[in-house]
Amino acid sequence: MNAAERRRYWWGHWRLAVPGGVTLLLLLLTTAPILVPVPVFPLLAPLAIFVWATFQPGLMPPWLAFGLGVIADLLFGQPIGVNATLFAATAGFVRLFEARYGHHGPKADWRFDWGMAAGMIIIFELATWQLMGLAGQPVPLLPLGWQVLTSVAAYPIVAQICAWTQRRAFGEPLVP
Amino acid sequence: MNWTPAPRRSSAMRREQNLALVGAVVSGAVIATGLLLLLVARVNPDAGARMRGVVLDVVTPVWSVVRAPFDGVGRGLDWAGDYFGAVSRNRRLEAELAAARTGLQRAGADAQKLKQLERLAQVRDPQRTLVATARIVNATSGSVVRSAMIAAGTGDGVVPGQPVIGADGLIGRTVEAGRHAARVLLLTDPASRIPVIVVRTGQPGLAIGANRPQLELRDRVGADLPLLAGDRLVTSGDGGIFPPGIPVGTIIDPRRDPPPVRPAATPVGAAYVMVEAAYLGLPTDTSAPASRAPVPIEARRSGAKAPALPSPAAALQP
Repeated sequence: MNAAERRRYWWGHWRLAVPGGVTLLLLLLTTAPILVPVPVFPLLAPLAIFVWATFQPGLMPPWLAFGLGVIADLLFGQPIGVNATLFAATAGFVRLFEARYGHHGPKADWRFDWGMAAGMIIIFELATWQLMGLAGQPVPLLPLGWQVLTSVAAYPIVAQICAWTQRRAFGEPLVP
Repeated sequence: MNWTPAPRRSSAMRREQNLALVGAVVSGAVIATGLLLLLVARVNPDAGARMRGVVLDVVTPVWSVVRAPFDGVGRGLDWAGDYFGAVSRNRRLEAELAAARTGLQRAGADAQKLKQLERLAQVRDPQRTLVATARIVNATSGSVVRSAMIAAGTGDGVVPGQPVIGADGLIGRTVEAGRHAARVLLLTDPASRIPVIVVRTGQPGLAIGANRPQLELRDRVGADLPLLAGDRLVTSGDGGIFPPGIPVGTIIDPRRDPPPVRPAATPVGAAYVMVEAAYLGLPTDTSAPASRAPVPIEARRSGAKAPALPSPAAALQP
């Protein structure tokens, strides 16, 4: 194994960072300078964690989601721990669900995925409301409804972005 | 005794089961850590201030660069829009100016009179000091917290707890500061509480954000005096952060309870904002107050010192 081969071997691991990297980019996109008084921008990062946890369960473990959540808390000025807990819980939920009901292959029904994502978003917002109150910064619940609507509408776009990245980085799925 | 022999697990299967167990334990531990961090944040909201500053410093320059072309396009559209309807706007403004001139003369006389009275009464007004002028670079549009980041930080003298003022009125206050960037808590955030007075009646109150486009006017002193639609709210100067007289908003529906307030300045178009020093900063003198409590003669003989922080009861004694 000469130097070039060794280099190629180590650089070949870049795929491991793809799910986390894509989620991080979407997280940064959520800090776009769109100043609206209502929390209306979709929750791209939790959606991406949800999608990657089904596409690449090994590359979106709960601890990685936890790290992304800490970054999200720092970025958004929220109490540290709100997004960290919820992101990790999202990844953990997908993992548990797949362990219980079987892996969700590429041939599965997309409407089921969308429904699950919608339920995940609603629970995510309710939990955000509760955890913000627990952390001592209570927020009103009703304005979060707008974010639920936009996030549910944004799910297909996030899924498309992740699927495209998945195909580019990992190739076509092996399952027929 | 006829025990069924336990099924022999292959080593690969055993390895997989162990890994699954470790994964479940790690997942649970991670979620528990998150909840623990939450409790730490509840007890000590300032935890991780340094880290927050670093993240601000990393993210803000990126957005400064990314948003530049959009700013250019927006400015071009603004210029184009200015040419349309310029004549009608000019006529309207001239009519407004004629109406305002009389008011202006009266205000000039009033200002003169006020200056005389202040000299007579030896009023000492703290001066407002401009710390930095910066642009709003990005915002937390995807979060429950309404905040914006500005491109000025501790390097420019910006520290947490300073008022941020736009051209039309109050924008918010700084809550975190990195070296080159700071976070501004906007008026619409649920954690924002602005001490205001109603200009027409002089009643003090609090303008509170609710994650909605409008603020709420709460805790108004003298609630039996009715408000009118269009009543203006300005900062009262209470609390020592915001200087008095900065426009905050306008009452839009006085019959609702709490009455909704439309903010005077929105950060949407406000490219540049002013960061001022806190109007009445917290005292920086940290020397311990001297105790005037009598020290027992035995303690004095043995060389003991008076307690550094007197109890309130001790301080009351002559």
